[in-house]
Amino acid sequence: MGKIEAALQQAHDLREPRLRNLERIWWGSLLIVFVIGMISLVKGYFLEGMASTNLTDTVPWGAWVALYIYFIGMSAGSFLLSTLVYGFGMHQYERIGRSALLSAIVSMVTAISFIFLDIGRPDHVFNAILYWNITSTMAWEIHFYILYLLVLIAELYLSMRGDLVRLAKEKGRLWKLYDFLTFGNYDVSEEALRRNRKWLQILGIIGIPLAIFGVHGGTGSIFAVAKARPFLHTGLFPVIFILSALVSGTALSIAIYVIKNKVFKRVSDLSMVRALGAMLTLFLSVELALEWYEFLIGWYGLKAEELETIRTMTSSIWWWTFWIFQMGLAMVIPLVILFIKKTRNSVNWILAAAIMTIIGVVGVRFNMVVPPLVVPVLNGLPWGDYYPTLSEWVTSFGLIAMCLILYTLGEKFLPIEQSELEIGGIEHERAAK
Amino acid sequence: MYLDIFNKMLESELEEKRKLLETSPYSTELGMQMAADARKVMNGQMEQKEFYEKYAAPMKKEFGREWAALEEKPEKNKKKGPRWGMVIDLAKCVGCDTCTVSCKAENRTPPGVSYNVVIEEEHGSFPNVKKLNLPRPCMQCDKPPCAQVCPVRATYKMDNGIVAIDADRCIGCRYCVVACPYGARSYDNGFTYEHEMLGWEDVQAPEFGNDRGPRTKGKLPEGTVRKCTFCFHRLERGEEPACVETCIGDARYFGDLDDPNSIVSKLAASPRAFRLREELGTEPRVFYLL
Repeated sequence: MGKIEAALQQAHDLREPRLRNLERIWWGSLLIVFVIGMISLVKGYFLEGMASTNLTDTVPWGAWVALYIYFIGMSAGSFLLSTLVYGFGMHQYERIGRSALLSAIVSMVTAISFIFLDIGRPDHVFNAILYWNITSTMAWEIHFYILYLLVLIAELYLSMRGDLVRLAKEKGRLWKLYDFLTFGNYDVSEEALRRNRKWLQILGIIGIPLAIFGVHGGTGSIFAVAKARPFLHTGLFPVIFILSALVSGTALSIAIYVIKNKVFKRVSDLSMVRALGAMLTLFLSVELALEWYEFLIGWYGLKAEELETIRTMTSSIWWWTFWIFQMGLAMVIPLVILFIKKTRNSVNWILAAAIMTIIGVVGVRFNMVVPPLVVPVLNGLPWGDYYPTLSEWVTSFGLIAMCLILYTLGEKFLPIEQSELEIGGIEHERAAK
Repeated sequence: MYLDIFNKMLESELEEKRKLLETSPYSTELGMQMAADARKVMNGQMEQKEFYEKYAAPMKKEFGREWAALEEKPEKNKKKGPRWGMVIDLAKCVGCDTCTVSCKAENRTPPGVSYNVVIEEEHGSFPNVKKLNLPRPCMQCDKPPCAQVCPVRATYKMDNGIVAIDADRCIGCRYCVVACPYGARSYDNGFTYEHEMLGWEDVQAPEFGNDRGPRTKGKLPEGTVRKCTFCFHRLERGEEPACVETCIGDARYFGDLDDPNSIVSKLAASPRAFRLREELGTEPRVFYLL
């Protein structure tokens, strides 16, 4: 299929009533959730401040911090997956390269929005950039996030540049936007594209340590350096953080790829989905192993706070976040699905495992934040009792809707869809056969 | 530059320096040398102190008495001020919570913020029960984990040993609350006692010597983290912290831990003394006597 035909095909697809309806429902529901979320944001966060949350001095961090590290993990994981394509030239994953980059950017923006909510003085937020305490992991993170976001945007732009020039020249819908985005550089000669690829590779390679040690390992370290909380204060903690980032990033890429194909009634490339599924299995297994040691050694120490934290996690009113979300949805069930021969070769089952993982990792992140804080630091101080307020819930859903809106906008207006590419197109045809 | 001009003027006016000096009964050589070195001092090529050291002995020999000595200027901040510390005698504490109440009154802390609490613990089972009251102010650690993690250096260690918070810089991320091993930090949610105590908002405690006027919704220190200041504003006017002054059993001692003769230093050296969670290496400046 040539590129013009492909574009025509897609334009035709969009006119299809089924798709039009789907899109209308998608946008409608997202906008409703987003608007309600923003109303709650203004009413709660901006007018009442932290009083609109259930956060206390015992549990000073809650749902918003958990969701912040959740999206940070999503971003780092998606980006690392994209480096397989752009950093290491594994072109069999080409079709998820750009959407992985886009989801990495969008997740990062969402993560920063969530952590912005957790700041008590939004008017002081630029102090975080002006003053840099070199012993503070959080200060390092703030700067790493900015750098990382810039690398992501540069990567995505470079990977799209060829298509942007083509779209600007075709003078189709929105060609002026694409024309602007080329910044007057229409050079798509073999030499120019080769240079592009070189830069993509360089940025990808720079991005790998940045994502692993800077962004994600660093975010894990924010928690791990808190020696007041024995459950967090382990060397393994940042590593588990990185592993669960890889898990959620891979799962997200699988889910986006398969769902997009289902919406446009295209056939998914089974071999690629299977390979991604195998990767997910690997990451999940390593994560399980690390968690085993984390719990074993923590428990073996018989430290009161550690034991109380594990008890809070596994058998308090929050038991289900651990057993159902963390262990069930984000660990055992996907592993079983991905191990059984019949299910691990089915796109639908792999998609199910990916979606379960994406949902389950919320529980993983929650358990990294709340239970270690519920246990008081000194025997005799009050125990924490945290459950997000309605305002926290609604605002969180609003921001998640914002994340999906941003992603959909990106998919709609930017040449993210890889099957439009010549190489991708050929491969896609082959897969369809 | 002017120095050069004056030097040249002198050279031209006083051509016969040596002859002039020889008319005096004292050493010509010394005079010439001193003049040369004095010029060096003026030009900054020689330290004043060095000059005095060099000529103190020859001048005494020549003139028969101590002629000049460098005036010892007290260097700014050379004398270290006190480094505050507290000792709490648990055997004397009756658990009356006066310290908590007086702290609240002195610092006018809002609902939900209490710099000082008394933790009550019961050990053993009936009839062998022992009750322990543990007053807990901020430990003012010498290696404070809160200052270590603060992303903007809003909380830091002062020279007098107190860990301060700069509310004007604090972004309210509450990382320090997570990092504090003593639970000694609170976040100011902006709550008020105004509805049960008219005029409560009219005055705020001048924490760290900073009078912020009446407490206003949305104004600092709301939205930032707050903690015990060892009543810095009281120390500055020569008073003890409120909890120390009001303790009914005189269980609290306050003073300079750097001064080996102070009561706190002596008590802190007692075999009864211990510090909370010493294994974390935070080096608290609050000692307990058991």
